[in-house]
Amino acid sequence: MATLTLNNVTKRFGKKVVAVKDFSLEVPDREFLVLLGPSGCGKTTTLRMVAGLEEVTEGTILIDEVDVTDLPPRRRDVSMVFQNYAIWPHMTVYENIAYALKLKRMDKKTMDKTVKEAAEMTGIAELLERYPAQLSGGQQQRVAVARAIAVKPKLFLLDEPLSNLDAKLRVATRTELKAIHDKTEATTIFVTHDQSEAMSLADRIVIMKDGEIVQIGSPDDVYHRSVNLFVADFIGTPPTNLMDVDLKVENGDCRLVNPDFDLNLSAENAANLKDHDKKTLVLGVRPESIVLVPEEDGVLAAQCLVSEPQGSHQIVAIELGDRMVKIIAPSDPRIEAGETVHLTFKQEALAFFDKETGLRI
Amino acid sequence: MGMTAIARWNGKTWKKISKGAAPYLLVLPVVLYYAAFWLRPVITSVIASFTGAAGQFTLENFALVFHEEHFIAAVKNTTIIVIFSVTLEFFGALFLALLIDRKFRGSDLFLFLAMIPMALPAAAAGAMWTTGLTAHGWMNSLLGYLGILAEGEKIYWLVGSDAKLLTTLIVIDAWQVIPSVMIILLAGLQNIQEEVKEAGYVFGGDYFHVLRKITLPLLKPTITTAIILRLISAIQIWLIIVFLFGFSRLPVLLERVVYYTKEVRGLYVAGQMAAGYTLVVAAVVSLAALVYLQVSGAFKREEEQLT
Amino acid sequence: MKKTKKKPVNIAKAAKTTIFYIFVVGVMVALLLPIYFIISLSFLSTREAYTYPLPLVPALKTQFKLEQGKRGYLLSVYDRVEGDYESVLDTAEPEKMQVYLKSQLATPMTMEDIEQQIARLETEDVIYFTRRRNLLGNYQTFFGVAGFKAVPALIRSLQICAMTIIISLSIGGMAGYAFARYAFKGKDLLKFSTLFVRMFPGVAIAIPMIKILVGLNFYDKPIGLSLVYSIGNIALTVWITASIFMGIPESLEEAAQVFGGSKARAFLRITLPLALPGLAAAAMYSFLGAWNETVSAIILTQFNPTFSVIVYQTVLGAVGQVNLAAAGGMAMAIPAVIFTFFIRRYIRQMWGGVTI
Repeated sequence: MATLTLNNVTKRFGKKVVAVKDFSLEVPDREFLVLLGPSGCGKTTTLRMVAGLEEVTEGTILIDEVDVTDLPPRRRDVSMVFQNYAIWPHMTVYENIAYALKLKRMDKKTMDKTVKEAAEMTGIAELLERYPAQLSGGQQQRVAVARAIAVKPKLFLLDEPLSNLDAKLRVATRTELKAIHDKTEATTIFVTHDQSEAMSLADRIVIMKDGEIVQIGSPDDVYHRSVNLFVADFIGTPPTNLMDVDLKVENGDCRLVNPDFDLNLSAENAANLKDHDKKTLVLGVRPESIVLVPEEDGVLAAQCLVSEPQGSHQIVAIELGDRMVKIIAPSDPRIEAGETVHLTFKQEALAFFDKETGLRI
Repeated sequence: MGMTAIARWNGKTWKKISKGAAPYLLVLPVVLYYAAFWLRPVITSVIASFTGAAGQFTLENFALVFHEEHFIAAVKNTTIIVIFSVTLEFFGALFLALLIDRKFRGSDLFLFLAMIPMALPAAAAGAMWTTGLTAHGWMNSLLGYLGILAEGEKIYWLVGSDAKLLTTLIVIDAWQVIPSVMIILLAGLQNIQEEVKEAGYVFGGDYFHVLRKITLPLLKPTITTAIILRLISAIQIWLIIVFLFGFSRLPVLLERVVYYTKEVRGLYVAGQMAAGYTLVVAAVVSLAALVYLQVSGAFKREEEQLT
Repeated sequence: MKKTKKKPVNIAKAAKTTIFYIFVVGVMVALLLPIYFIISLSFLSTREAYTYPLPLVPALKTQFKLEQGKRGYLLSVYDRVEGDYESVLDTAEPEKMQVYLKSQLATPMTMEDIEQQIARLETEDVIYFTRRRNLLGNYQTFFGVAGFKAVPALIRSLQICAMTIIISLSIGGMAGYAFARYAFKGKDLLKFSTLFVRMFPGVAIAIPMIKILVGLNFYDKPIGLSLVYSIGNIALTVWITASIFMGIPESLEEAAQVFGGSKARAFLRITLPLALPGLAAAAMYSFLGAWNETVSAIILTQFNPTFSVIVYQTVLGAVGQVNLAAAGGMAMAIPAVIFTFFIRRYIRQMWGGVTI
């Protein structure tokens, strides 16, 4: 339970490789913060700097207003779940969890109680006497989590803890982790490259690319108010459909024109765009914001390439120009490949991006 | 039709047999080689140790050995050397391996330089130390330059009490041998995942705690390997001793073998002495190795892996 | 954004790092000191090698003083430690001077040069001159004197090393591959056999080996020595190659087989190329063992010694030629050190797989 502040944190390897650039962030107490981004974006490096496993090249890190930048990990009151768990193979599960407690010189009774509590919370209470080699991957992961919560640290740091689990277990464990977070009221920093994981777990998401912060916001923020093309494309399954359009302003009315359709913008959208100086834009529409309509209401018509039924809905892929556009439609009526569909866009869900900078307008 | 069926059956069976036999075929050359070039001389040697002067079976060779004037000294010296050498070499090598594993700038160069003593041939090493430790050798010269020795004062490294000679020897041997132990330990250290150690640091350990509770226990199989190899070699030390002190000044078991094989002249029972001592050495080494393997749990580990 | 003071902590960190590096350098110096000295010794002239205390750095030049002496010409040499000239030779014969200059001072001078200097004495009482030292003198002498024996011995040693490598890698490598890829009865026995083989003193085996080698007509020949060296070498090679092959995922071979190939083909096309660096390191390891082996060589050769034997004999016989022995030892160490440089990157591959 603590606050975390990073001030202009930079990490350089050697003279040339900058892994993290000028990272500044304030994390309030009890927040579940997710660092999200593609491989190599610097999210793990940042986490490791908070843990004290990497030296900070520039900048400072404060935990609960205390400068910990030069402190070794053991003095920061943090705990960590590693991507490949890093549980100690030569110790039993009990000893793994008790390691830190022994170092704190906890008396045996309290230690025993704490270990058992942590084991109960992660569902491994019967495995305490086993060795890691005798456990499945999922069980090992729980041991890593139990070890982390037993310490009752100021900060929980989790480095892609679910990556090595199979899909079903991943989703189930995701929920459990959130429950544990709520129960222990801990401040959590969670690193992942899986955006759906981030969306379901985070209070706030920090999206990173190439060592820099791209956007900080709630899941809602990054989803509906993506700050640039990268975020719009990264968040959401399927991701935002991006289409090149020309902006035509004619006496107060705005239209978006593109080889496949001609869209009149609503008054709000028009007001937003009419003073924009560039004429070519990128239009971003999320799959669920493209609606199947009868022919007369449609703004564009296209042929279905592939349809992916998902049970509760179906994902219809059409070809627009040289891009594939995906639509989320109700599963009824079932669209077949080759069928012609008529579509329109939900005006309130449209996002516009500058073609050169990628930034949202 | 019937013929093709039989041919096919033979082909499949042959493949199955050859597949199962593959490992044994691959190992066969080694077995044959050892049988031809190791087993035969060893058996000859063993037989010789039970053969008397007249070619009869006898135990008198061992009686000769036990009554030899330097036998007790040889046993004592060998024991002292082995205990102190292996200990010193292990800790020295571990220290260097841990140092290199920290991967500081220049650790690669450090590793190379630390390995150099391993590359030196026995004769070169012998030359180095004999020239160094004579009264006007470089060791005394260096101490003179450093001011530790007063002008003209000399330390006589190669003569003196047994304790002094043993100390000199153990240090010199350690210097030469530490690199080969170090690389085994280093390989083992590099096999330990970095994150396992990092977890130790995150959960409260400082460097020494992690070393003690995590790194070293995980290094145990490697440590056992390094020590057993070193143990077997240490019991058989002799060449450097002869270089430094000549024969018979500081007797050890294998030096006695060489002495009676090559050095001594005109002794009627020399051959028997050599043969007897040979078997004593082999017995001591085997016994020590087995005891160590048992104590270190190497055999138990094998069982665990099989179950 | 709060910025906290960092300067004092940075200084402490910098200090700690500096101390660490000083420590590391210190350890290095202590370890390498003996080597430094023997290298230095191999460059010293005979006269230098026998002064006490030994010069820390070999002289690059010799400073001479020449004057009339009792018997002819008195030659003195500047002694750095004493800080003054020390008389070394008093002779009337320039030839003796030339010999002395070359053999004891490693500063060869041509006859014309010597006579020129002597001529100067007619106009002056004392003359001084400086000549450059021949630093490689000892090496030249070693290969010159022991020479007609040293070079063939060198060639023989190289042959032996090559043969030992071939024998060990092929025989040991097969067993190593089996160890890495298969589970079979006796696998543990194979592992421990490496130890067994070392438990019987090699020296003791060498004597009966004479008879065996004579029987095969391999005595005193490189092939004979290779066979003996390979005994101990194969054992280690099995471990090292097992370790190397264990480091190459079996799935790569399986993939090759799925795409149409036998296991042997998969081995040749996939595994072997990947294992090559590690195997090269293993080969160098074998080389080191064979190159340095002295005692077995002494026992098993007579008229065709190996290079290590020559060096050994020079060292033993080097009463009065310590610097010569040093040169021989150093010459022998050079290829070994070069190979060690290569091996250092493959330590993990070679030793990281098989443990007891």
